[in-house]
Amino acid sequence: MVNIFLENDNINVKVPNTKSLRYVATKTGASMEFGCRVGDCLTCVARVKSGMEFLNKKNDKEIKALEILAMNVEGLRLMCQCNVEADEGEIVISYGF
Amino acid sequence: MLSKTTKVSTSVDFIGAFDPQIRTFDIIMKTANGSSYNSYLIRGSEGVAVMDTVKKEFSEDFFHSLELLCKYDEIKYIVLHHLEPDHSGALVELMQKAPRAQLIISGRAVMMLKGLLKKEIAFEVANTGKTISLGDKTIEFLSTPFLHWPDTMSSYLHEDKVLFSGDVFGSHYYDERLFDDKVGDFSYAFKYYYDHIMRPFKLYVRQALKLYSKFNIDIIAPLHGPILRSNPQYYIDKYAQWSSEAKFRKHEFGQKMICVFYMSSYDNTQEMAKKITEGADSVEGVVASMYDLASLDERNMIDLLEESDAIIVGSPTINGDAVKPAWDLLSCMAFLESNGKIGAAFGSYGWTGEAPEMLHDRMRWLKFRLPVPPLKIKLIPTQEELESCVLFGQEVAEIAMGKMVEMEI
Ligand SMILES: Cc1cc2nc3c(=O)[nH]c(=O)nc-3n(C[C@H](O)[C@H](O)[C@H](O)COP(=O)(O)O)c2cc1C
Ligand code: FES
Ligand SMILES: [Fe+2]
Ligand SMILES: [Fe+2]
Repeated sequence: MVNIFLENDNINVKVPNTKSLRYVATKTGASMEFGCRVGDCLTCVARVKSGMEFLNKKNDKEIKALEILAMNVEGLRLMCQCNVEADEGEIVISYGF
Repeated sequence: MLSKTTKVSTSVDFIGAFDPQIRTFDIIMKTANGSSYNSYLIRGSEGVAVMDTVKKEFSEDFFHSLELLCKYDEIKYIVLHHLEPDHSGALVELMQKAPRAQLIISGRAVMMLKGLLKKEIAFEVANTGKTISLGDKTIEFLSTPFLHWPDTMSSYLHEDKVLFSGDVFGSHYYDERLFDDKVGDFSYAFKYYYDHIMRPFKLYVRQALKLYSKFNIDIIAPLHGPILRSNPQYYIDKYAQWSSEAKFRKHEFGQKMICVFYMSSYDNTQEMAKKITEGADSVEGVVASMYDLASLDERNMIDLLEESDAIIVGSPTINGDAVKPAWDLLSCMAFLESNGKIGAAFGSYGWTGEAPEMLHDRMRWLKFRLPVPPLKIKLIPTQEELESCVLFGQEVAEIAMGKMVEMEI
C-alpha cells in the first residue's frame, strides 16, 4: 500500500497499486476538483510535494497542458491523469495552483 | 444602426455594439436595462489593435464602426480577452477581412478555441508580462483566469493608462452616454454583475486586483456597460471589499459554523436533524444551527452557505427523490466559491430511500468534501438510531475542527 497524504483535506489514506487518484477522491470524499477528466481543462491541477516517483509518468499531452499554467511544471500534475504505480511509498499532494 | 464610435482616450476608441432589448443574459442573469458588447480600437504609430469583438448578431454594427476608423490592412493585432461568444462572435469574419492581423489569446484559451470555431486558426499566446507594440503604444497582458471564463485575461495600455479588464468591472447596463460620469445610476447593475459572474471566483478576483495594483489606471474599459473613468479606484475598492476573504463573526472567536438544513413532513427527518445538530454542537469550538428549508429565503441560503464551514442537508425520500427545497439550496452553490467545504446528507425514508445518497452525490459534483457516508433511517428513528445521528454530527464537527482522517481503500 502507498500512503497518500491529501494536505488540503487532512486525509491520510492507504492506496493499493494501480488505483487512480480519481478513485481516491471518490473513496475518501476529498475535495479534489475534477472537470473534464481527460486532461483538457486544467481544473484538477495539483502539486505533488513528494513521492512523484510512486505515480505513473506524465505523458506529452499532460506536460503540454501543464506548460500553459507554469514555466516550471516539475512538481505539478493533473490529478485526472494520475495512477498509483508502486506497492509502497509516501506521497504528499496539495491540490490547486 | 446601434453602433457608434466614441473617443475613450488619446489612442483608444469605443467600437462596441449596444443591445438595449436583451432581457436575459447567459440564461442566468436578468438585464432590465439591456447591455452592450464593448469593443475597442487602439491606434499606434505602427498599426491598430482591436480589443475583442461583439456578439454575432451585432457584427454589422461592429464592422461599420471599425471601418469608420481604420482600414483592415492596418490591423496588426486582434486581442480576445476571453472566448465567450458575446465577445468572439465577429472574430472569424474579422480575421477573414484582416488576414494580416495576429490573433492573441491566453494560454488557457488554446484548448477551447477549436471547440468554439470548429476550425484551425493561427494565434499567439499571451501570459502575464507579455507585451505587444504598435510603435508608440505598448500593451501588456495579465492572466486573470476565471473572470469570467477559465481563459480570461486583461491588458493594460501603458501610454494611455487604460486597463482592458475583460468582464471584470462589467455591468449589463445599456446607456449610449457610455461613461460612468454621464450614464444613469448603474450601481445595482455593477453589483448584480459581480454577484452572478465574479462571486464564485473570489480568490481569482483578489489575485487579479493584485496584478492590477501594479498599474496606474486612469480608465477601466470593461466588456459590458459603462466605461469607468471618473474614479477607477472607487470600483476597484468595491471589488476588493466584495471579494475579501470571508470573515464572519463566529470565525473571529475561532469558532466553526455548521448548518443543518432539513425538511420534514412527519417530523422524522426533523428528529434526525435535531440530534445531528446536538452532536455537532457538542464538539468544542463548533456552533451548530438548524434551518427548516420550508421557510428559508434564497438570499439567506446563499449567505448561510457561504458562512458555514460544514453543511449537513436532510431530506425525506419523496417519490424516489429528495425534495425541491434541498435541491434549490444546493443550486445556490453555483454562486459561491467551491472551496472544499464539508458536506453530509441524511434523511428518513419509507421503502427505497434514495434522497440522502442523491444529495451526497450532488455535493460531490459541487466539489464538497464528503468525509462521512450518507445517513438514512427507515421511518421513525429508534433511540439507538437517534444516538447514531448524534455520532454523525459529532464526526462531521470533529473533521471540521481539523481532525485528521485515516483510512484505507
Ligand atoms: C455564465 C456561464 C457559465 C459557464 N460555466 C461553465 C462551466 O462551469 N463549465 C463548463 O464546462 N462550461 C461553462 N460554460 C460554457 C457553456 O456550457 C458553453 O458555452 C455551452 O456551449 C453553452 O451551451 P448552449 O449554447 O446550449 O447555451 C458557461 C457559460 C456561461 C455563459
Ligand atoms: S479534470 Fe480536466 S484536466 Fe483533469
Ligand atoms: Fe463573459
Ligand atoms: Fe461578457
